[in-house]
Amino acid sequence: MMFLRQLQGELKKLFARKRTYIGYVVFLIFEALLLSLWIYVGREQFEDLAKRNFIPVELLSSSLTATYWIMGFSMFLLGSIYFALVAGDIVAKETEDGNMRMVLSRPVSRLRILVLKYCAVIIYTVTFVIFVGLTGYGMALFAMGSEGGLFVWNPEMYILAVYPDRDEAFQRLFTGACFMGLSMCVVTSLGFFFSCLKIKPAAASVMALSVFFIDFVLQNIPFLANHKDVFITFRMANWIYVLQENVPWERIVESYSILMGLCVTLFILGWMVFQSRDFKT
Amino acid sequence: MLKVQNLTKKFAGKNALRGVSFEVKRGEIYGLLGHNGAGKSTTLGIILSMVAAESGEVFIGGVSVLKKPQEALCKVGSIFEAPAFYDYMSGWDNLKVLVGLSGRFEKEAAMDVVERVDLTDRIHSKVGAYSHGMRQRLALAQALLPEPEILLLDEPTDGLDPEGIKWFRDFILGLRKERGMTVLFNSHLLSEVEQMCDRVAIIRAGELVYEGAVDELRDDRPGVRLQAKPSKILRGVVCDFGGQKLGEDRWVFPEGTEIPDVVRSLIERGAEVSEVTPVRRSLEDVYLEHSSLSKP
Repeated sequence: MMFLRQLQGELKKLFARKRTYIGYVVFLIFEALLLSLWIYVGREQFEDLAKRNFIPVELLSSSLTATYWIMGFSMFLLGSIYFALVAGDIVAKETEDGNMRMVLSRPVSRLRILVLKYCAVIIYTVTFVIFVGLTGYGMALFAMGSEGGLFVWNPEMYILAVYPDRDEAFQRLFTGACFMGLSMCVVTSLGFFFSCLKIKPAAASVMALSVFFIDFVLQNIPFLANHKDVFITFRMANWIYVLQENVPWERIVESYSILMGLCVTLFILGWMVFQSRDFKT
Repeated sequence: MLKVQNLTKKFAGKNALRGVSFEVKRGEIYGLLGHNGAGKSTTLGIILSMVAAESGEVFIGGVSVLKKPQEALCKVGSIFEAPAFYDYMSGWDNLKVLVGLSGRFEKEAAMDVVERVDLTDRIHSKVGAYSHGMRQRLALAQALLPEPEILLLDEPTDGLDPEGIKWFRDFILGLRKERGMTVLFNSHLLSEVEQMCDRVAIIRAGELVYEGAVDELRDDRPGVRLQAKPSKILRGVVCDFGGQKLGEDRWVFPEGTEIPDVVRSLIERGAEVSEVTPVRRSLEDVYLEHSSLSKP
């Protein structure tokens, strides 16, 4: 019970800050923009594509398909910035501002303080991804109506799937969003790790994004195409397999075990650094 | 109540603390004096388990801070110079978050403390809009929750106006009177230490150079403002009587020295004496002497 009360306090601190909401606002605007572009520019092209490939038009031009495109296109590149920003701040900002001394003077272990902070940023990450999915779907529903299923196409991951049944399509997409949320926890963990070091909050965020983008660039270099499995960003993109007709659960379990192992390792490393630090004015 | 034993600490290979030991008894107000970088804050950091000592021990109420920090810190409330709160939250929410880390946040007890520190009207305003004095009172409120046995105050009156300093001093003295609160008071404001503390310790370059009662520190050796020419004769006479320079034209002599004898000797040696005024050594003089800032 005490842990939950303390977590509530940590979440209060996180969500009382205005900068926490920058990501939410930007995503709402971005979703609206993407949806407008889809309706006024892309829809016609996709309908042509559907007709030429004998795919029912209502599948391709549906609110669920639009949501899939919005999430898939925006989360990895844009979302990662906000996760790195919030996680990079979570320890380093309090240390920089002097709040950490007030916290550490309380009878609570450093491990517990970090667990509380880590839980708070993980909750932020997962709920943010679900928020983006739900608001994107809400906007698409408003603009395009509730008709139609889901059409999934991702040539890089070799996925092409069609779900005419609306309920199944929604369920698949929601599960996909949850896995995407777990994937994004890796960016958050990177930010958290750097935040535990004796560096400025902005430096922690930049370091986390640097690692993430370097991994992403390397993964997309053609001569490394046969070694994609070793890159974090490739493993993170494995959420999309949930949308494959026959879900390759073994591959998903393998990738998420690696990602969760990485998150735990980053947390432990961060804790070890934090535990050994002296906090003085 | 608080026992500090043989603390040593190095920062980047440089000694910050060298075998610092002292003891604060229950119900006592103990002052820790020293100039910037002397090691006061490092000592406080080790007591609060924020800084790791190279060696030594700290006990709070008999519990080792190094071995059982959480158990030991249950008895402690602390205030830092320029307390840092979450400015974007209200004073009340700050209290809830910070006190929540120590256990349950009791609303009635918190309201009572808020009333005592005179923040009732502004407790639901954002801390960002608080004055320095209000922040310090909020710091005092969080330190008093939930019911500490000892308060550690790190330069708490820094930046406060005279009215604020008096309020703070009266509050701490009131706490000791009502609850028998033990206080470790880290400050460089000697007048505060003189008015509040029972005993003091002076730290110089990481070493404890003096420990004793404030009254003992304020010694009764005869001091005098003495002006005479030529200065060569003056220095010679002062030296013969074992005097030490306190400041500009101010001297202190060993106990039992008769100032008229000094003046007589000056005149006998042909000096022209223009001023002889008895002066009492202040706590500041003694502090400067011990912390090696004066040049005898």
